[in-house]
Amino acid sequence: MHIPDGFLATPVWAALDLAAIPAVGLIARRSQAGLEDARAPLLGVMGAFVFAAQMINFPVGVGTSGHLVGGTLLACTLGPSAAVVVMTAILAVQALVFQDGGLLALGANVMNMAVAGVLAGYLPFHYWGQGPWRRAAIFLGGVLSVLVSAFLTLAQLRISGIPMPSAVLGLSMALFLVSALVEGAVTLAVFGALEKMNPGWVRKPAGAISRLRGALAAGALLMASLGALVASGLPDGLESAAAKLGIHERAWNLFETPLLDYELQFAEPVWMRKVAAGLVGLAIIYLLCAALSRWLLRRRSP
Amino acid sequence: MEEWARRDSPLHRRDARVKMILLLVFLVWIGTARPAQPEAYAAYASILLVAALASRLPLLSLLWRAALVLPFAATFALLSWMAGDAERAASLVLKSSFSAFAVLLVVATTPMPALLAAVESLAAPKMLVMVVQFLYRYLFVLSEKAQHMWMAAQCRGGIRRASAGGAIAVLFASSHARAEGIHRAMLARGFAGHMPLIRPSSLHWLDISFLATGILVLSLGRWLWIL
Repeated sequence: MHIPDGFLATPVWAALDLAAIPAVGLIARRSQAGLEDARAPLLGVMGAFVFAAQMINFPVGVGTSGHLVGGTLLACTLGPSAAVVVMTAILAVQALVFQDGGLLALGANVMNMAVAGVLAGYLPFHYWGQGPWRRAAIFLGGVLSVLVSAFLTLAQLRISGIPMPSAVLGLSMALFLVSALVEGAVTLAVFGALEKMNPGWVRKPAGAISRLRGALAAGALLMASLGALVASGLPDGLESAAAKLGIHERAWNLFETPLLDYELQFAEPVWMRKVAAGLVGLAIIYLLCAALSRWLLRRRSP
Repeated sequence: MEEWARRDSPLHRRDARVKMILLLVFLVWIGTARPAQPEAYAAYASILLVAALASRLPLLSLLWRAALVLPFAATFALLSWMAGDAERAASLVLKSSFSAFAVLLVVATTPMPALLAAVESLAAPKMLVMVVQFLYRYLFVLSEKAQHMWMAAQCRGGIRRASAGGAIAVLFASSHARAEGIHRAMLARGFAGHMPLIRPSSLHWLDISFLATGILVLSLGRWLWIL
């Protein structure tokens, strides 16, 4: 699942590197906050633990075996931000020492597996980690973490123009589904043993118990990554729909925005314009969501 | 790999920061190379060959290790080829293996602490670099331990699902305890939140000229439309 160098189109790897650097920097600072320098040795050794744990093969079902990927397990024991740092370190070592994944593609791999994968894996535990659905939450977390990173990886390969016939895409998605189920089962087994050994290892989920919100969030994540995969093979869905309905021409007169046709005017090469427009768009959406959530929170607790 | 990094050669002696910058520039050059230019790939290959010869490392084992990307690359190359895009197929294989070889050359000629210090001086988060440092240091220790556990379980008659979960949990617990012990020992030795380098690096004029030559060659190549 590690993308080597030379696979992604320039705009894709450049944009993901640009996005990964501040994301990891921010999370690294956050994981450091509150806990002193004791954190670095612990996180490093736990990263080595994930490598070592991958040597223990798990027999699952008939004749197949899988191994731990580890994102969900780390997130539920060390906390999500620490788990992101550990997974990023693992990916860096794999890229440098084991030639597994490229150096320019490291941003893409980090975004897929360390950031999106770990956070998706932690999400069900965050909402359902205390109730009667605890075991289901851990299983679902393992499944989600692998599925989300697999979908994002496939989407990035596809959007870079790697031809993927639907048979191949279907087959690889089926394989990823199997390995996602394996990851869920392995995480659950290790988690149970850990909890029996010392309940102190396992984190108390900070979120309130809310089945609805958990299901909504997990569903949204899955839909978003699956949507990215579907969209990567098609022309812009909105645009093609608009073209079909004939509102294409009229729409441009309505929306004379600075992000016209998703391209900023001032940057020189075309791909750079597209990347910049995409990042600016993301930032705007993020700011809107942040403002909206702040407003909602303030309204609820005056 | 550890042993390779401790040897001596013109490439080993260059400053880690310089090697890292040149590596990144080289990777970006390959990453943005236009497909279907045989002479460009020949030029990249000859640059890599010169560097490999300068490193005085066994060429065949280097090639073998860099070939680890080939299974993945070949799968997708086959797909592209079947889709009638032979150019892309060739560029996938060449780009990914050249990039892997370049990374391998730098990592195999630079000791890990120096490499990580270089990465840190190029503005990577300090925390992350330290985590990578610990990870690399204990990677082989813990892997060996896991292998012993695996072998012991095989001797007792194989591993079942429940016991595999237990084995990983035991590994988790002992890694956790080891990390605590390590941290206490480090504090006792006066650890103040940063790992000092034993040999502080300083830029030699050879390093600077190496950097300048490398960048000059690469940008000249791009300017002349070869690379």
